[in-house]
Amino acid sequence: MSIRTSDAPAGGAPARAVARGDGVLRRTWIHRADYLYVLPAIVVMLIVIAYPVYYTIDLSFYSTPPSLQLRDKIFIGFDNYKTILESEVFWRVTLNTFIWTIVSTGSAYILGLGCALCLHQAFPGRAVMRAILIIPWVISAVAASYIWKWIYHSNFGVIGAILVELGIMDRQPNFIDNVNTVLASLIVVNVWREFPFAMIMLAAGLQTVPDQLLRAAKVDGAGAWQSFWHVTFPHLRGVSIATILLLAVANFNSFIVTWIMTGGGPSNASHIWITHIYEIAFGRQRWGIAAAYSVILFLIVMSLGYFYVRGLGGAEKEGGGS
Amino acid sequence: MSDAATPRSRASVGPWGWVGRIFLTVMLLFTLLPMVWMLLTSFKSGFAALQFPPQWWPKEPTLASYKKLLDPTSSVGADFLRFFWNSLFVSTMSTILSVIVAVPAAYAFSRFDFPGRKFLFFSVLLRNMFPAVVFLVPLFILMRLLGLMNTHGSLILTYLTFGLPLAIWLLKGFYDNIPYQLEQAARIDGASRFQAFVMIVMPLSVPGIIATAIYSFIGAWNEYIFAYTFINRNDRLTLPIGIQRFFSESSSDFPGLMAASFMMSVPVVVLFLMLQRYFVRALTEGAVKH
Repeated sequence: MSIRTSDAPAGGAPARAVARGDGVLRRTWIHRADYLYVLPAIVVMLIVIAYPVYYTIDLSFYSTPPSLQLRDKIFIGFDNYKTILESEVFWRVTLNTFIWTIVSTGSAYILGLGCALCLHQAFPGRAVMRAILIIPWVISAVAASYIWKWIYHSNFGVIGAILVELGIMDRQPNFIDNVNTVLASLIVVNVWREFPFAMIMLAAGLQTVPDQLLRAAKVDGAGAWQSFWHVTFPHLRGVSIATILLLAVANFNSFIVTWIMTGGGPSNASHIWITHIYEIAFGRQRWGIAAAYSVILFLIVMSLGYFYVRGLGGAEKEGGGS
Repeated sequence: MSDAATPRSRASVGPWGWVGRIFLTVMLLFTLLPMVWMLLTSFKSGFAALQFPPQWWPKEPTLASYKKLLDPTSSVGADFLRFFWNSLFVSTMSTILSVIVAVPAAYAFSRFDFPGRKFLFFSVLLRNMFPAVVFLVPLFILMRLLGLMNTHGSLILTYLTFGLPLAIWLLKGFYDNIPYQLEQAARIDGASRFQAFVMIVMPLSVPGIIATAIYSFIGAWNEYIFAYTFINRNDRLTLPIGIQRFFSESSSDFPGLMAASFMMSVPVVVLFLMLQRYFVRALTEGAVKH
């Protein structure tokens, strides 16, 4: 699959390199037809993305009535931000969100890497196994949440029943109605859904590790672990960064699993940012607070997003060379 | 994803080989058992499901739950089939539209060197970083303004934009791998740039388009939060929300819920298994180039 080797704008560049060095306006004019190709995408994105972002920032400075007739909103400056940052729940939820994101992302990455490595060798049944391992990622998160909710059920859940049958516990444990175990239980579900994604990405990354290097390492007497650590793993750097960033962003923004399984309870123990905002906005109808909350999140995710863009850019550059 | 490269020899199974086998077995069980339990539960009667200790294997397997869901004459069945149809309609429409919009955009990002190309490309990708909630309230109001509340149009428009960034990213990966010389040759033979795009590049990128379409379809099929917010009318609900309603009304009918979850998963899993190689390739094309 590799013909192109160098810089990103593979195609049009050679034919029109002449135009380079002229003014931006002139270049824009020369390339005017190019914009027609991206125009539909940009227009749609502007309507459904730029407007909401502007609107949210604007709304975050207002105190709003519960009804969505937002005409009688009152400008209150940064009060919404103050309210949020001073509330204890916000910090509790933020801690939850970081635990949720870091543990989910890390576990999904490690399990995905393990599976990718195991499936890298050829053996009978490999394709079937790979297909099976990917299924949790394909099925609806709503279905997954209900499956696990049933598995964790506090009276008839199958895990509890196994533990009782084996004599490890004397009665059904509460997984998701217990403040201490709820977050961990939800993270298991989340990892179940996400590790296949890491596996797919890393399996593709493994294909780019040059065989010669692995053979050379073997000749030099490297064991399996050494050749993994010194040859394979460094080659996976670009794809690992992309995978971890995509997973982290998805986890910061996740909603469905928590919302369906617990709704954030018991007593906020499993609330993460998005479920909390959703409750503030659509549950308590405090739109201004919810908007300010969204802006705070956006700033946090944005600063992480700086690395996201850099990581993707880096992965793109690295990929080009192989 | 070719099976060609097998760097490690299979001749001897060292300690790491055993670690790998055990790990893989554990992961397969971790993946499969929840789904097996879903299926087993769906074949039980409501009474049999609520027993302790549970029936590990259904003693009197029954298709009652499936019959109830698929029977258009019962109220549950009529609802379920309507939700199913709604989901199918919304997902198909947003998939078609997102391919139509994403293909030219991805092509331009891959091939042309217009000013602002990098900036626009990254601002498209940036969308993935915004939490969905940022869009909920404003889009809720926007949809009310446009008179799209409780319509499938609101969902199609939303899914279209949310699927776009990834669709563009995936397709750009494909176009980057199609050699420019092919188009040059066509241009020399007198084709216009647009003709070269439609007649040379498009056919070559069919696998990429299929993959992107599957991705959009699965994303739309599984979407929950916007459908949950925008649609209140019972006859317009999509499956994820419909199932939630179904469950909250009969909260102990776990076999029914598991049967519904199973049937909701079938279309995407089948679609995915059939077109797996395109799908997996597209996802990795953007991040890793071979």
